Amino acid sequence: MLVIGGGIAGIQSSLDLAEMGFKVHLVERLPSIGGKMAQLDKTFPTNDCAI
Amino acid sequence: MLDVGRHPNIDLMAYSEVEKVEGSAGCFKVRVRRKARYVDEDKCTGCGACTEKCPTDVLDLYNEGHSTRKAVYSWFAQGIPSTHTLDPDHCRVLLGKKCGICQKKCEAGAIDFEQKDKIVDLEIGAIIAANGYTIFDPGKIAEYRYNDLPNVVTAVEFERFLSASGPTHGHIDRPSDVAVHMQIKELEKEGNKLLKMLARFEEKQGKKSEEFYETYVPGETDPDLVQWAGRYEEYLPVKSRLLELQKKAETFSTAKRLAFIQCVGSRDLRYYPFCSSYCCMHSIKEAIIAHEHDNATTSVIFGMDIRAVGKGFDEYKVRGGNKSNISYRRSRVAEIINGPNDNPVLVYEDTQLQVVKREEFDLVILATACAPAKGMKELSEILDIEINRFGFFKTSPENPLDTTREGIFVCGCAHSPMDIPESVAQASSAASRAVQTVTVTPEKLLKIS
Repeated sequence: MLVIGGGIAGIQSSLDLAEMGFKVHLVERLPSIGGKMAQLDKTFPTNDCAI
Repeated sequence: MLDVGRHPNIDLMAYSEVEKVEGSAGCFKVRVRRKARYVDEDKCTGCGACTEKCPTDVLDLYNEGHSTRKAVYSWFAQGIPSTHTLDPDHCRVLLGKKCGICQKKCEAGAIDFEQKDKIVDLEIGAIIAANGYTIFDPGKIAEYRYNDLPNVVTAVEFERFLSASGPTHGHIDRPSDVAVHMQIKELEKEGNKLLKMLARFEEKQGKKSEEFYETYVPGETDPDLVQWAGRYEEYLPVKSRLLELQKKAETFSTAKRLAFIQCVGSRDLRYYPFCSSYCCMHSIKEAIIAHEHDNATTSVIFGMDIRAVGKGFDEYKVRGGNKSNISYRRSRVAEIINGPNDNPVLVYEDTQLQVVKREEFDLVILATACAPAKGMKELSEILDIEINRFGFFKTSPENPLDTTREGIFVCGCAHSPMDIPESVAQASSAASRAVQTVTVTPEKLLKIS
């Protein structure tokens, strides 16, 4: 399995596939994963930390 | 994120790009370019000793350019993988100059200036494209003067200001004030350098510079004295400018009157006609957090309407209005102009009162549209799938996660604008669609035979 993009969507897909027993290659353009979500401080509507 | 780094079934290929996809569903052949980090992934412990000593400052895009990082860096502090990366556009050694301090400082011996890009060929059953989105460039909307006014920022920039790990350590310092503080620092540095030079003359001549300059007449022949006077003349404007700025800086405080402008680039026929869906809630959240940081903060959210569609969202909006000093104003802001003290002034029509108003704020935050990711077109060509008229991957209403090529699926903002819970839900759906492609069922076998 190949997942392109290591943002929240890519991370979730990869984890789901990996949990199902598939070998996943997660390709991310930037030096580390997290995507736009990693730039967020808190998330709505619960004000939980993003990371 | 941590789970991804640790999971035995996940091969994390960060700092890499997909170059070529051949074959068909169930047996794709994919070529991935692993870009050279110039740091050995197996040796780097992520300690950061290299970053500490690196002499080159580069604008930090993680903080939206509001701070600097070094030429050897990790994208952000808790980043996975924690391997550091050398920036080939700024590293002195990679640009052919002398340096190499990081290599000396790295105890693990991980810095490798000779590293080359690696090409990896993979055999893949199904592909999920989750390459996200880009933030709309508000500079395109001339009337909001994003590029000219320092105190007009995007929602993501403001998010970084709110973050304790951000450029302002969680204080909402206005960019114009930060720029003045930077100027003061530069002037202090310059002034100290000149003062050191003057001190040398003072010691030699046994006189204070002021006393000397009072009696100094132009036309002096002693080269030493001419030089002294020259330096003092250089120092005077630096000193007066420094005093002026320091006086100005005393009046600075954090931003307390915030204005949020909704639909910047979205629901706008000139740019993107669609609704970006998450920005209303994003602005409310930022206003609530800003109020948590400082109870004196008041926020006005300017929008055509507030779209709080989701579990617990409307309650959140009402709570913001009741408890966090947020007022919602139905309006589309016509223009932002510069007021006194770099305060942005909004010109808008209050549609409920039907009057055109002008209102001054400390900081304006633009809720920018969710635009298709950069490189979307290139990726669609590599994957050989179609994009829709807005630039997102094309899907059909019956199979919302299937792209136009069998075995390739899409989720998250590469599909269309959506918030985090929706992205997560879609990601799980895309994963199960991908599994369906590669699982052999009796029905499928019958079809083949």
